[in-house]
Amino acid sequence: MPKLSPKSDQYFFGTWEKQVGEHIQKGEVLFEVESEKVISEVPSEVTGVVAEQRVDEGATVKAGEVVGVVTVQMIERR
Amino acid sequence: MLYLPTTSNDATKLFALEYWLAQQDYPSTVFLLWSTRPTIMLGKYQDALAEVNLAFAERQKLQVTRRYSGGGTIYTDPGCFQYSFIAPATTAKIDFTQFSARICQALQQMGLPVQQSSRNDLTFQGRKFSGNAQYHRFGHVIHHGSLLFDTDVKTMATALHVDNLKLRSKHIASVHQRVINLKTGLPTMMAAEFRARLLASIKQTADEVTPLTLTPTQWRAVDGIQQAIFANDKFIYQSTPLTEITKKRYFPGGGLVKLSLTVKHGVLTAFRLNGDFFSDVDVARLSQGLVGQRFRPATVQAQLTALLAATPIVNISAADLTALCFS
Repeated sequence: MPKLSPKSDQYFFGTWEKQVGEHIQKGEVLFEVESEKVISEVPSEVTGVVAEQRVDEGATVKAGEVVGVVTVQMIERR
Repeated sequence: MLYLPTTSNDATKLFALEYWLAQQDYPSTVFLLWSTRPTIMLGKYQDALAEVNLAFAERQKLQVTRRYSGGGTIYTDPGCFQYSFIAPATTAKIDFTQFSARICQALQQMGLPVQQSSRNDLTFQGRKFSGNAQYHRFGHVIHHGSLLFDTDVKTMATALHVDNLKLRSKHIASVHQRVINLKTGLPTMMAAEFRARLLASIKQTADEVTPLTLTPTQWRAVDGIQQAIFANDKFIYQSTPLTEITKKRYFPGGGLVKLSLTVKHGVLTAFRLNGDFFSDVDVARLSQGLVGQRFRPATVQAQLTALLAATPIVNISAADLTALCFS
């Protein structure tokens, strides 16, 4: 969970925009949170597959907390 | 800055307009100044059942809407002005100051000694008259706020007062504060004059103001967003996954009534009625008749009226029970 608000480290976890097993491109929205009256979309920092959602929608999360896992697919070059 | 004049007093249309504008690539910030008919605006992740006296809202024909931005529930009417800034987002970090400072400056230019509070609200004589909220989408920041000028604060208080004995749901709760109308400081000014002077003052805070108009095709695209999202019952009433509520009221001559309800995505999934009232009503049958119905005052009252027709409750009507469910 990146720190988005200068005033608060707590976020209301709104919606998962990608579900477990779905492919996600770097920059695509992974989830949405609310803090300090602002709704923010949080994009994926990598291209891969959503492997885990560790928090439920409606939960309170803190900046720095791991909320999910995206598995990066390695392409082997020969 | 681009200024787009609007004439609609339907908040769902203006929310759609903001959303559409965020998908365009205008060279600078777009500004809107608008007002609504009597309207309740929920924040995106709020529970209507926890925030709105829906029985009162329906009786008074208040329009219930939901924003895409965060924060608490507000009441707006023709005595209240809304403003919107739609600006390209330069960072994902949250920043209110560039927008609220501009409104603060515009009002100070009008001679009103207003101040910004630590919660990004604006205050006058130490009380809040303006709150604001944001959402970030399509590479833009959509920042909007409200300004109380001559709002009916009595209706506001009743519409936003919910009398839950117990409520359990995952939602953003509103923070209730004492508010003040700006007309207190401008007693001889009418709303139309305030709006004109405010608009002129806000324009003075920008280097340059260019008028913006939309084509009929563009307005049709806005209408499409309005119907698909902001005027859609599903978005307004069915966003909350699960709400469990307990209500209790003593009816003089009727007795004590206690209701325990469960609502999932706007549909009643459990209804339990007990108390010391007098009736031959089959409570289990009553519950069966209500479960599965949309949890809205008109629907519930129609069902209760039919179900209680043969076995009424002494001195407690279907309308009384409906009002208790939604008060």
